[in-house]
Amino acid sequence: MTEETLTLGKSELRKDAWDKVTGAAQYVADIPLTDLCHAVIVRSPLHYGRILGINKSAAQNIPGVLRVLAAEDIPGNKIFGPLLQDQPSLAIDIVRHLGEPVAIVIADNLETARMASELVKVEYEPLEPVFDPGQSLKPGGPRLHPEGNLAAQFDIQDGDIEAGFAEADVVLENTFSVPRISPAYMEPENSLARWNEDGLITVWVSSQHPFTDQVFIADALDLPVEKVQVKSAVIGGAFGGKEDSSLAILAALSAWAVRGAVRIVNTRNESFLAHPKRHPALIKMKLGAKRDGTLVALRAMSHMDTGAYASYGPAVGIIFTETLAGSYRIPNVHFETFVAYTNSPLSGAMRGFGSPQSHFALESMLDMLAAELDMHPLALRRKNMLRPGDKMFTGVVVNDTANSLPICLDQAEAIIKRFSQIEPAPGKTVGVGMALAAQSMGLGAKVPDDSTHRLEWSPDGDVYVHLGSPDMGQGLAMAAEQVTAEALGLPYEVVKTIPLDTLTSPNGNVTCASRMTYMVGNALIDAADRLIQQLLDEAARMMNFPREQLSYQVGRVVCPDGQKVDAAEIASRVADDGRTLQCESTFSFPYPEETTPQHLPIGMPHVIFCFGAQIVRVEVDPEIGNVDVTHLVAIHDVGRVISKPAVEGQIEGAVATGLGYALYEEMPLKEHQQWVDSFTEYLIPTTKDVPLNYEIIILEVPEASGPYGAKGIGEIPLVPTAPAVANAVYDAVGVRVKSLPLTPEKLIKI
Amino acid sequence: MKSIQATFEINGHEVTLSSAPNRTLLEVLRQDLGLTGAKDACGGEGECGACTVIMDGKAVNSCLVFIGQVQGCSIETIEGLSGNGDLHPLQRAFVEVGAVQCGYCTPGVIMASKALLNENPHPSDEDIREGLSGNLCRCTGYVKIVDAVRIAAEQQPRR
Repeated sequence: MTEETLTLGKSELRKDAWDKVTGAAQYVADIPLTDLCHAVIVRSPLHYGRILGINKSAAQNIPGVLRVLAAEDIPGNKIFGPLLQDQPSLAIDIVRHLGEPVAIVIADNLETARMASELVKVEYEPLEPVFDPGQSLKPGGPRLHPEGNLAAQFDIQDGDIEAGFAEADVVLENTFSVPRISPAYMEPENSLARWNEDGLITVWVSSQHPFTDQVFIADALDLPVEKVQVKSAVIGGAFGGKEDSSLAILAALSAWAVRGAVRIVNTRNESFLAHPKRHPALIKMKLGAKRDGTLVALRAMSHMDTGAYASYGPAVGIIFTETLAGSYRIPNVHFETFVAYTNSPLSGAMRGFGSPQSHFALESMLDMLAAELDMHPLALRRKNMLRPGDKMFTGVVVNDTANSLPICLDQAEAIIKRFSQIEPAPGKTVGVGMALAAQSMGLGAKVPDDSTHRLEWSPDGDVYVHLGSPDMGQGLAMAAEQVTAEALGLPYEVVKTIPLDTLTSPNGNVTCASRMTYMVGNALIDAADRLIQQLLDEAARMMNFPREQLSYQVGRVVCPDGQKVDAAEIASRVADDGRTLQCESTFSFPYPEETTPQHLPIGMPHVIFCFGAQIVRVEVDPEIGNVDVTHLVAIHDVGRVISKPAVEGQIEGAVATGLGYALYEEMPLKEHQQWVDSFTEYLIPTTKDVPLNYEIIILEVPEASGPYGAKGIGEIPLVPTAPAVANAVYDAVGVRVKSLPLTPEKLIKI
Repeated sequence: MKSIQATFEINGHEVTLSSAPNRTLLEVLRQDLGLTGAKDACGGEGECGACTVIMDGKAVNSCLVFIGQVQGCSIETIEGLSGNGDLHPLQRAFVEVGAVQCGYCTPGVIMASKALLNENPHPSDEDIREGLSGNLCRCTGYVKIVDAVRIAAEQQPRR
């Protein structure tokens, strides 16, 4: 990008950083309210069981306890769910997972609430749980939900799969498994609610979707939505996991029941047990190719474990299925995906949303195929990569941003060469591996995907961004401010974001799906254009000049006589009239009809994709099986850089989580059928686990429909990491590990 | 449970308070003193470092310190770091390099970094990684955190 920009692409400072480095930032757990009560959730000690009775009296009689609530105390809808209405806010008759909320104790202090929560006597009849999604779908097992155990199923075909395999010279078949992992944001889930004298309930949330929370709360309390005010507190990380309204509903219910203010804060242990995780999956994959490496057929049959409740499981199943062919042209495909209920903790949205799972299988398979064909893995990928104009198996025509793929591969070639020349540490075996990745943007065709945001020119000269979607910590507000400043020709410093409040903010929809810079940016560019028009209209009226003789220039209106009037001055005079100089704009994710075949399920296809590649060098200790990632290069196309540090920050953070997925993280059942549920056993990468030699290459292949050409970066850098590590480990020691994480036992066992 | 009395220094001011002896320094900071910069992220297991404060010059997990143990000690929290609105060089470096994302781990990381620089004013990257290995962050991948600490250290006068 060579043209002059005001702020785009520059390293601006995040305005929320000052409060965050001084400890002043207020997360939900930090907000001081007078007469605040505390709620503690009574959770199921069983994976599966029938509730025979709940005796609240012992707890209720403790001094300081205000109320003990169970499902019967919910005045409205007792069940919620973002896609399927299947999740009770408090268990009704049945508990389906360990840690499921059964009752809630509200007391005037936290200690009392905790103590009393242990006195709520719940009598259960234990039932035999099922944890394997394949097992869960077999006849004869427990029926976890009235409609059965299949939360969603996708069967997608393109071409002729039999003919494809018939023309293949080489056919490989393998089964891959990926574990349940936790988003493990540092701030455990929480919510704070206050019942106000006028009947309004105010709820502070750490949530990616305050407007969805508002609807679920109103529904549970049987209140009109306008009686529920949801305010976004500072969010301590989310990564998809905070697309869940459970605590917002329970805090609001508690505040409503005691006619006061109540806070609920999950412990880390509760966070592990009762909040959405990444779906574990078993993926059977069969890949056919010609002797020259041309891919001709891909078949996959996959079972994903969505746990006790669907959460976003069906949508995760869609993106998983849609990314099974990755960044490649494969003419004949057949994918069957089953998203099954089990008695595991629920799985839902998490950064990557199905794509890390599909890519681990596919990108591992490609390296196995390359070995079989005696081809370089890069040559195999180059031969089959998507090119602009190619039709994907969903019928979507790949746009020009696929031009980033050959650039990724060219760069990868040079990096692999460089990595291969580095001498291994004594006693270590060295390997180099890479993977490509594709990640969709947006919620998918036929899903309402609108995002509204508002700009306001204040009389003091500042421009306020009323962001309709929360910044979950990734820096969305900064991107919004930079785009606005650029569009209005103003300094970044004068554009300021107003925290989200459902009573006053426009509805920007959920913060997710690698699309926030894209949605917010597009909406704000349009809002800025219209704000300028409004400013000129007002100026024309005030100063009695013909409208067409006025023009806008960096925060001022230029009059035909050469006079320049500050926008603040005009805003101030508009304010004198009791009005506000403001403009709202809605951007709808474009799903052009000609590229979105109607025979596909709701939410499929996605039409815009992000691409990237990662190359890693590992050193393996052949005796103890320990894998050390010594070097890593991440190459990602962002269309256009809005903020360089923020783009790098997204990549650096996602890669670290990808390394955790590759090497350590899993949440298995341990002895006595308990889940791993603390950071003592669930290891996430520390400062010592990220590679010392780390390089980021940012590509800018413009996305024509994006704001200044920008597209998403939030999820994709997590996607290629694990298969790249697996491929490097194979290169090092010749062991193909088909299940994550790549723990030392798996390497030395073989 | 019988209360105990503890007198200690917090960010340069002496406080005396009474508390149940089984409460942690983190709980007292957050609930009694309104100093909510130190966070609980692991449930009081000392696994995450989000509650890191400096006690007599050393970084500690305040969730693992019982209130009785702070008698006579000097405690520094993130709230005491920036005097008169001026950011400490560490805080400034965190802002300037973009080492802050969600910010939940940030107060703990900065206090651990301060303790590290107290002991080792000119650490290598390796030293920084070692010194911060008890502080978990899920947003940044630590790259910019290490950068920020290095930059802050470089701004200190060489001895």
